[in-house]
Amino acid sequence: MAEIMIDAKSIVKDFKITKGLFLGKENLRAVDGVSLQVSQGEVLAIVGESGCGKTTLARILLGLLQPDSGSIELCGSKIDQIPRLKLAKTVQPIFQDPYSSLNPRKTIGSIITLPMRVQGEKESTEWTKRAFKTMDLVGLPSRMFNQYPNQLSGGQRQRVAIARALINKPKIVICDEPTSALDVSVQSQILNLLNDLREELNLTYVLISHNLAVVEHMATRVAVMYFGEKVEESETDKLFSNPQHNYTKTLLSSILPPDPRQRSKEN
Amino acid sequence: MAEQVLNITNLSIDIPLSGDVLHAVDGISVSVNKGETLCIVGESGCGKSLTSLAIMDLLPQKAIRTVDKLELNGKSILNYSDREMSDVRGNKIGMIFQEPMTSLNPSFTVENQMIETLTRHRNITGNSAKKLAVEMLEKVGITPAKPRLKQYPHQLSGGLRQRVMIAMTLLCQPELIIADEPTTALDVTIQAQILELLKRLQSDFNTGLILITHDLGVVAKIADRVAVMYAGQIVEEGSVYEIFDDPSHPYTKGLLSCIPVPGKIKKGERLGSIPGMVPSLIGKFSECRFAGRWTVEPSKHDEKITTLIPIKGSKYEFSVDGTTNHIVRFCCKHCLERSKSKINKGVN
Repeated sequence: MAEIMIDAKSIVKDFKITKGLFLGKENLRAVDGVSLQVSQGEVLAIVGESGCGKTTLARILLGLLQPDSGSIELCGSKIDQIPRLKLAKTVQPIFQDPYSSLNPRKTIGSIITLPMRVQGEKESTEWTKRAFKTMDLVGLPSRMFNQYPNQLSGGQRQRVAIARALINKPKIVICDEPTSALDVSVQSQILNLLNDLREELNLTYVLISHNLAVVEHMATRVAVMYFGEKVEESETDKLFSNPQHNYTKTLLSSILPPDPRQRSKEN
Repeated sequence: MAEQVLNITNLSIDIPLSGDVLHAVDGISVSVNKGETLCIVGESGCGKSLTSLAIMDLLPQKAIRTVDKLELNGKSILNYSDREMSDVRGNKIGMIFQEPMTSLNPSFTVENQMIETLTRHRNITGNSAKKLAVEMLEKVGITPAKPRLKQYPHQLSGGLRQRVMIAMTLLCQPELIIADEPTTALDVTIQAQILELLKRLQSDFNTGLILITHDLGVVAKIADRVAVMYAGQIVEEGSVYEIFDDPSHPYTKGLLSCIPVPGKIKKGERLGSIPGMVPSLIGKFSECRFAGRWTVEPSKHDEKITTLIPIKGSKYEFSVDGTTNHIVRFCCKHCLERSKSKINKGVN
């Protein structure tokens, strides 16, 4: 039995929304009683339409937001009892848009090594050594060490984001729409890279995506969210061949297969 | 022979930069028939969107457009004045943009914006304009439509906004619709609805449709013909079946091998990829446009060797099936050799 990396129990998160001037606040339940368990080496995909609470859930799992109720355990210890620096060594994010998640005024080298400096690594030779190693791992040429994000293409920027997430060897990586801002040719490179890294570094992924073809390709298990609730969760193959919930069925029927022959069947 | 709505030949767009020129689009020719859907696919930065702007004469001021022929319904609109062009835009050619939030005016109601179009192009005002607007909103699936008229764009969801955009575009019953990534900003479930809607309305009104996208799933769903663009050129053009079943340009093959197909690629199996990145289009090309982009590992499409038939009068342009329907263009001799296609010299 593989070790359980993430154990989240009935997480609830509310946001207060102003109804208008002098009208007081209203509750918006973004995440409503979601429980998740992810074992080591798994890829759990979370799918759902925009506004269904996927990203809020990801932020809670990263420890960036406090849930209103419910408990989260990462690698066996409660998330609010893990010190911040140790938490950052356990779980790392990769965000959607590599154009806005990298600081434009810092060089690639300093972006990638920042997590090491935060963790208190003093030797600057060690920084560069590890940075070059990680850049090599994600397929970035070392000459980019002194370049700035605006000199890089979208795919290269996403590789920088991946390198930054991996430099402290986290156990869990939370990918929030890692390829939706990229072209298909670049998307396939990044997906291949994520798959290779998972095997090489024994990573556990939580993959948030609305692209079901990507989910089918990457995930071992899929959780479907709808209006803050988890409506269905099962093995990828089972979910795609035998969806139970109505919303999952709608979602699956809206996949556009890249095959013009399948269109004539529908009409 | 179906009627041609749009015919562009040899369109080039150059953007002068300080000291150099960016050749954004390099000699492309496109035509669309009535009731036909042409999809233009390609990576970002290959000139898809500039091409659509060039048709509407909406290019940035610095950009220089050179074109041999630009015909709408057989009439050249090349030398139209600004005034004449603005009669064409929105009236004869409709445009749907990617992000409906930025293309609708946030400070006017839906009614205001829809009626403005009718007043400007059709001279219809007052109650009759309102009636037409309601009818059109119902046609795009917004029911009940009346309460929506008084709403502002920010009160509508993404899907509804895009529907309003489409309704506005259809108000003047344009002969050609250009849709630039109309569903990229939307959820998958809503994307499917919008595409269905576009397809249905297009056959109802018998308009030509140019759809610009990078999603090959969308292409497979809606296209009649496909033009694959790469670095400012169309590298392959053909019917949707020809492109998906028998891709003949290495770039098209690569692009098709990149997408994960549910049920076809096993889990953990590597996706195909196109290495390198889109070349810079600044200055003249000294080497092949595809330099550094050839895959080392052969993809499954590579096993099939394509036989190409030369087209008279052009050096690197070939026909795949002997007609002008399915055409492949190579940029140079090197590129043609690397593609390993066989050339049939017997015909012609």
